[in-house]
Amino acid sequence: MLNKYNNCEFIAMDPVKRYFSCFILLVVLLTASGCAEKSSTAAIGESSSTMEQSDDELDMLLDDDFLDDELLDEIDYYDPLEPINRVFFEFNDKLYYWVLSPLNTVYSAVLPQDVRFSVGHFINNFAAPIRLINTLLQLKFNDAGAVMARFAINSTLGVYGFGDVAWREFGIAPREEDFGQTLGYWGVGEGIYLCLPVIGPSNLRDAVGFVTDAYSHPMVFFVDDFLVSAGYYSLDRVNLLSLNPDIYEDLKKYSLDPYVSMRQVYLDYRRKKIDDNDE
Amino acid sequence: MKTSIRRSLLLLFLFSFLCAGGAVATAAGPTEVLRPTLQGMIDVIRDPGLAGTENKEERRRKIMEIASRGFDFTEMSKRVLGRTWQKISQEEREQFVRLFTKLLENAYVGKLEEYSGQEIIYKDERIKGKKAAVLTFVKHNGAAPLPVSYVMLKNGKGWQVYDLNIEGVSFLRNYRDQFKSILRKKKYAGLVKVLEEKNASFTGDGAAQ
Repeated sequence: MLNKYNNCEFIAMDPVKRYFSCFILLVVLLTASGCAEKSSTAAIGESSSTMEQSDDELDMLLDDDFLDDELLDEIDYYDPLEPINRVFFEFNDKLYYWVLSPLNTVYSAVLPQDVRFSVGHFINNFAAPIRLINTLLQLKFNDAGAVMARFAINSTLGVYGFGDVAWREFGIAPREEDFGQTLGYWGVGEGIYLCLPVIGPSNLRDAVGFVTDAYSHPMVFFVDDFLVSAGYYSLDRVNLLSLNPDIYEDLKKYSLDPYVSMRQVYLDYRRKKIDDNDE
Repeated sequence: MKTSIRRSLLLLFLFSFLCAGGAVATAAGPTEVLRPTLQGMIDVIRDPGLAGTENKEERRRKIMEIASRGFDFTEMSKRVLGRTWQKISQEEREQFVRLFTKLLENAYVGKLEEYSGQEIIYKDERIKGKKAAVLTFVKHNGAAPLPVSYVMLKNGKGWQVYDLNIEGVSFLRNYRDQFKSILRKKKYAGLVKVLEEKNASFTGDGAAQ
């Protein structure tokens, strides 16, 4: 199964070694600080970090009176570019049905699901430095420890990150942090809502975060070529789609206004992610 | 980040209809009400005697019957419409509740039928006055458990679900925003038309399932 991936030679070999050894060294040095304690708590059963957050989450739901009062017509998002955003939404919609979806059909037919899961794990693991930087920038040292432990475990026992051993065997759940969240953590507002061509829903803050993260991606460190990055990004997109094939079509099927539905899901999801930081 | 958005999106749609349900025992707490409701719906779906396209009508009727006990469709409709609810007549309200309930049935029951293999873990419960939130984790296909919170309200019938929340995304708020946008452009009559068209769009492929 892994043979299919040995052609990851698009990454020149030397920098890879250099990169991985630097990163693993960093991991080992910093792991001692916080991660040992974190992983032992996380390892108790499957109740990982997601489950630990439950208390505050439930309180938040009960305190959320948005539907109780009469302020229902109050607008809680800022979308002055809606007409343009809707054009891009349509563009992405066409892109989905004309390009992504057919591409996914071929991709899914060629690669079995467990291989696609592995590809997803690899892509995810490769981006670990971004998550490490952003957990550190948000002073979330326990999470930084978990990110490093996951990287160390999955890059070794997980065979270059193709398997998620850290979650399966050690119960260390993935942490998702990006620069958009870091900005939010430090109080930067989300700005206007954006529906970007190809990329999809975003807002001003997250778009800045997206570009920043793209520049801190290890990929750039190896091959500073737009086409390669774009190809890598496309692989990521198609692979994700192949693992969750119905999402977009369901959104369209169940929504009366898919543009509004997607905007709401995106903005509320991101707000929740950033709120978690206050714990 | 994208993965999770997609995941939560998917699951928002998968499980939204799951809030349908709840055998009503007056003194029972939120979790005691929620558990038999969800289980009852899953049991109907798993019942081999009710499987297949030919039993679809009967199956859906049973599911919605269980759903209507634990799921407060009127409260949902009221909250989802917001101020417009105050402006429309009693008949229009009843019509809206009917249309909205039908939408939820169309949209989510079909999806539930595909994902009947999941396991629900009841993790936590919080009561605050007349509101309650129940946190569950849904496990499916060995993936990391997905947190789904049910928000409930105590009314004359006991505890009933009126919203559910997956990773910060509220199902009710999602529809509320959509309706608001349609109401602004097309008024109430336009919204009814859009709802009717949407419901009609399910009769074709809905029967195929």
